[in-house]
Amino acid sequence: MLVWVIYDISQDKLRSRVFKICKGYGLYSVQKSVFVGNMEPHEIDELCLRFDDIIKHDEDSVYVFPMCKSDFKAVKLLGQAFDKRLVSDGIKRLFL
Amino acid sequence: MYKVNDRELLNPSEVIEFLYCPRFIYYMRCLKIPQNEHNRFKVMKGRDIHQYKSQINKEYVRKKIACTKKEIDIFLHSKKLGLKGKVDEVLQLADGTMAPLDYKFAEYKGVIYSTYRIQALIYGALISENYEKPVYTGYLCYIRSKNYLAEIKFTQRDWLILDAALKDMRKIIEENYYPKATKYKARCVDCCYKNICVEGLEASKSLEISGF
Repeated sequence: MLVWVIYDISQDKLRSRVFKICKGYGLYSVQKSVFVGNMEPHEIDELCLRFDDIIKHDEDSVYVFPMCKSDFKAVKLLGQAFDKRLVSDGIKRLFL
Repeated sequence: MYKVNDRELLNPSEVIEFLYCPRFIYYMRCLKIPQNEHNRFKVMKGRDIHQYKSQINKEYVRKKIACTKKEIDIFLHSKKLGLKGKVDEVLQLADGTMAPLDYKFAEYKGVIYSTYRIQALIYGALISENYEKPVYTGYLCYIRSKNYLAEIKFTQRDWLILDAALKDMRKIIEENYYPKATKYKARCVDCCYKNICVEGLEASKSLEISGF
């Protein structure tokens, strides 16, 4: 399923750790502190556990929003937006 | 009766994995391909919490379930069933019966899966044989649901499932029999053998989201 991960973390070191974890799960960075990508339910669960282990619960926040196909189709993108097909794994190969 | 020597005893985890997908046993026992559980975050975290749980509140007994005495981390085996296992807690209940308690690093979702039921049943059978006391119930403590305690009443059906599973497992191990994979394709997605199992590869392809 498609998942949005949005975080607000005060410490630079922690923030970069969360960034690397998101990258490690194959999520795409679409804005500063905003990731989107395709994940299996067990991966989402694991990701949340990892975040739960490292964030400071009294200072930081992480939101993990699952999104269905139809809602994702209805997303409006303005300005310098990401490639919808890329983040939803619609593009299988990239030739640069 | 399963005539096995000590080295061939099965453990509850293997039975659970067999019930999840019979090919687990083939890959582990016949082809000797390790699962590499240490690469899985949830498994390692679960183990750490198990370790922590076994060290705290050693004297605490659960009054709610009329427990009078408990023993922690008890290793038991049964030559009759050909099983071995470490029980998280062996409980002595007020009515003279005994019960196993198993900690689960999982959330309680309103239903007890058959894999957990069978694992508890195995522990119950081991306790019953080693302590020579009746075991009618088992308990599961769901760590991720604020230590929710779920009770399992063992039924004849559970015994039949366990008996059939053990027979099939023996067949796979002793005859190097390559079994059919599970019919639930969603299970293949999170399987550690999905890259070498034909079913797993096919399931991954069929479940792949091909664009929006």
